[in-house]
Amino acid sequence: MKVTRLLLRPQHIGWITPFFKPSLHIPLLQSPLPRLCCGQGQRWIHCGSSVCKNKPDSADFRELFEHETEKKDKSLVTHDDLFAQAAKDAKTKANFNRVVDVFNKKDIRRRGHVEFIYAALRKMPEFGVERDIVVYNKLLDVFPKEVFVPQNFIQRMFNHYPRQQECGVQVLEQMENYGIMPNVETKVLLVQIFGEKSHPMRKYQRMMYWFPKFKNANPFPVPHELPQDPLDLARFSLTRIANDLDAEITVYQFPLTDITETGEEIAQPHIVGIQSLEQRSLLAKHNPNRPVFVEGPFPLWLRKTCVHYYLLRADPVPPEEKIEEEPDPELIGPEQSFFYPQRVELDLNRDLGDDDSFDVDDVEEGPVYAMCMAGQSDQATLARWICGLQETNPVLGQIPTVFRLESGTRELQAAADVHHSPEQNAEPGTEQEHIIEEETLRSQGMKQSN
Amino acid sequence: MLGFSRSVKVSKCLLASPARRLAAPLQTQRCMRTSVRSLAYAKDLFLGKVNKSEVFPYPEISNEELEEINQFVPPVEKFFGEDVDSKKIDEEAHIPVETLAGLKALGLFGIQIPEEYGGLGLSNTMYARLGEITSMDGAIAVTLAAHQAIGLKGILMAGTDEQKAKYLPRLASGEHIAAFCLTEPGSGSDAASIQTRATLTEDGKHFLLNGSKVIWISNGGLADIMTVFARTEVLDKDGQKKDKITAFIVEKAFGGVTSGKPEDKLGIRGSNTCEVTFEDTKVPVENVIGEVGGGFKIAMNILNSGRFSMGSASAGMIKRLIEMTAEYAGTRKQFNRKLADFGMIQEKFAIMAQSAFVMESMAYLTAGMMDRPGFPDCSVEAAMVKVFSSEGGWVCVSEALQVLGGVGYTKNYPFERYLRDCRILQIFEGTNEILRMYIALTGMQYAGKILTGKIKYMKKGNVGVVFEILGKKLKGSLGRNVDFGLTGKDGVVHPSLTESAKMFEQNVALFGSTVESLLYRYGKTIVDEQLVLKRVADTLINLYAMTAVLSRASRSISVGLRNHDDEVLLANTFCKEAYFKNNYWMTQLQKNSPENNDANLKKIAQAVLEKRAYTCSHPLDRTY
Repeated sequence: MKVTRLLLRPQHIGWITPFFKPSLHIPLLQSPLPRLCCGQGQRWIHCGSSVCKNKPDSADFRELFEHETEKKDKSLVTHDDLFAQAAKDAKTKANFNRVVDVFNKKDIRRRGHVEFIYAALRKMPEFGVERDIVVYNKLLDVFPKEVFVPQNFIQRMFNHYPRQQECGVQVLEQMENYGIMPNVETKVLLVQIFGEKSHPMRKYQRMMYWFPKFKNANPFPVPHELPQDPLDLARFSLTRIANDLDAEITVYQFPLTDITETGEEIAQPHIVGIQSLEQRSLLAKHNPNRPVFVEGPFPLWLRKTCVHYYLLRADPVPPEEKIEEEPDPELIGPEQSFFYPQRVELDLNRDLGDDDSFDVDDVEEGPVYAMCMAGQSDQATLARWICGLQETNPVLGQIPTVFRLESGTRELQAAADVHHSPEQNAEPGTEQEHIIEEETLRSQGMKQSN
Repeated sequence: MLGFSRSVKVSKCLLASPARRLAAPLQTQRCMRTSVRSLAYAKDLFLGKVNKSEVFPYPEISNEELEEINQFVPPVEKFFGEDVDSKKIDEEAHIPVETLAGLKALGLFGIQIPEEYGGLGLSNTMYARLGEITSMDGAIAVTLAAHQAIGLKGILMAGTDEQKAKYLPRLASGEHIAAFCLTEPGSGSDAASIQTRATLTEDGKHFLLNGSKVIWISNGGLADIMTVFARTEVLDKDGQKKDKITAFIVEKAFGGVTSGKPEDKLGIRGSNTCEVTFEDTKVPVENVIGEVGGGFKIAMNILNSGRFSMGSASAGMIKRLIEMTAEYAGTRKQFNRKLADFGMIQEKFAIMAQSAFVMESMAYLTAGMMDRPGFPDCSVEAAMVKVFSSEGGWVCVSEALQVLGGVGYTKNYPFERYLRDCRILQIFEGTNEILRMYIALTGMQYAGKILTGKIKYMKKGNVGVVFEILGKKLKGSLGRNVDFGLTGKDGVVHPSLTESAKMFEQNVALFGSTVESLLYRYGKTIVDEQLVLKRVADTLINLYAMTAVLSRASRSISVGLRNHDDEVLLANTFCKEAYFKNNYWMTQLQKNSPENNDANLKKIAQAVLEKRAYTCSHPLDRTY
């Protein structure tokens, strides 16, 4: 909100402006507009400033302010009404555009356009157009052109038409919050409306500086439109968690709804699993006397969608069971040129000055052998997944599989899951990010609706 | 004895150290010896020492041997020139039976097999000489090498007299062709990579050989006798069962041996490379080479001893390429000037001549070392020859092709075939990467064993040792008076090569201290510093090459060989080039050297390998 403050700073000098007005090219439109736009309570200071332009007298100012506040409510209601009426039919982009067109045609002077734009900005998410650059440009187009462009150095120096500029900045601000990059049309509009060096233009320039830099900052982007098909969504989510190019996705069961002869409806949920070759070989080495666990559901947030996944994991191998496979020293030692020598027999360690490694504390964790997503979270469905896994991992047939699924019975689960709760905490890297993302969005939303 | 006395005279007049090799009786050099005499020229370089008696004077062969080889060469050359149609062999991916019969008649299948078993019984040096000619056709060269340099070498080196008597005569005549079966799919560093397994039958008289697939076996489809390496269960010292590798002589007639379809290769297309599968092949116990469980060492020795000949083969190939391209460059006119008048074309010929000269020098120096009595271990030297000549060969063929331009790119000329054929040199018999690791680590191991005590003292802050080293470093940096006695009054290098010898000495001294500091810095973790080891290996290869050319050119001037002034020029040119390259590499090996880009290279590679793709955006991409 720095911009706002910037805009406000020279407000007391704002009075001077009217005295220069007669020299402007379009005097007719100039003076009435600010007064008309005062009818908006949210930015009372702006109201004040614009009022001050015309009425330097402080008593008058207060009176006028109260008067305007009354009026403001009405005007707000009218604009909101416009959208509310449009929303009755359908909340679509076409309807939204129609409302804007109606407003544009209603009055050649575009009376109350600032209020209208604020109202429109608020309504955008409702109509689902908050990510549409064309709509933002259309909104900016509501501003009358060339009127607010400063014509001389004093106007340029001081805050020329602060409320309008502030409104323009708000439009850009909302675009920013939704991650919409302005385009050339936006720039042309802003130049036409506010001139080359206005605050909205500065805002535009800043956005154009930072946006491209941040655009590809996330190495794991989530698309705005997630795949509709649950199979595709599961594929996407699983590859996102298992960031391993060797991992293989298998659809163990396709979703199916069928009606039997007796009229019963049988729904077959989808089961999609992922397993890498390394996981497969780890599982093959698993001691069949130790159980493996099917655990879940764990949440994964993809923007506003939450999906759940299940793990096939085991407890860490106790140290006494670990067998170090010693390769034949003849084959890896020095003095041989077939396989390259993989060690030298020296009693010298790396010098401290050349030891760039960090002191990393390795926390022993149990291996995760596979992951899956399923349409239903009952044990029967997951058992089918394990059956499917057995085809590529025959060893699973000999290993006892324990299902530890979190569902309705929380209390019972709590006791059983005490020792694997760190597991759940180990995952939240991705989740938290999303939650944070959601929160920031919400807070920004609040900011703009202030 | 004429040659003997003359050489001694020469060495007395001009070369200070006695000609050691010549002092040995001639007959003994020919035979394979099993006792290993330590020979450590290359390894001593790691300590900053020049063991000059090992490499000076340049090895010679006796007049009798020279006459003998000169009798062999012309018919072989004639055969390759007239009866071998390399183009046809390449196109049909098959060596015709008549050609093979011709090779057999010339005795080329038994070059190193002793005369008593029906071979030619030639020394390594003479084998290298013949290699120059057989390299006229890559496919034949590889077929012959797979047969005798690795295929039957096991029997020759470690076989019993019965085994030799049984197999060698027919192998020498070419009636039987040999192959060497070691490489397997997924060849890695662990014993598990060798999947072929031999189990002893209940009566204890046979081994049953079972192997999934032994791949890339040269001569696999032709071979009647194979040296096969398989895992066998062996009781080790603690009485535990362990898998060890054992070498077997396997006849195709034993049954159960199937060979797959020959591979369709880029080059050496006429040679037969295919996979071989063993299924319950019954191998009698007498056919174990060496002892049960000792196979890997045998495999190693076979490979190590076979590599040196690649140097002379490449040199032979380049010499022929020079003749072919020089003719073109001398006649073809461009812009009213002969191609040979252009500086950039001249440079190419200089590079080719220099490479051939250096390779030749290295190959025959190494062959001469190997021919010394006592079967010395020259594996590092041989590996260096292989790396240097395979890479030099590739560059030279490419340059030769470039001289011809578009014409060379067509199939009308043999250059494209040479280019394809010689690419394999960098890959087989141990890839150059593996050999570089071997060269560098063997030396590091050797130097490390000797220096460990000293470095430990240094690390503990022993003032005496630290001062000694500092003093040495100071001396080295101040005065350039490193002297290993190569030049000067009792020098072994001819005065016209003094400057080059000095450069070599400086390089060696710096190399010694570089190795020491590397050991100090990395200790046994040096094995993980592959980029460091690569430079160490490259520097050592250059040092060895410098030694070889210095030694050879000195001898040539001293005995007054024809055109020895050219040799001096080539030697000086190469030494100068190598000196600066070595200095640069060793500067990179210093700590925090700005010339060293390894960390960046690793990062780039990591980013790419993580994505398994090129990571950068397209230059035409936009963000808005």
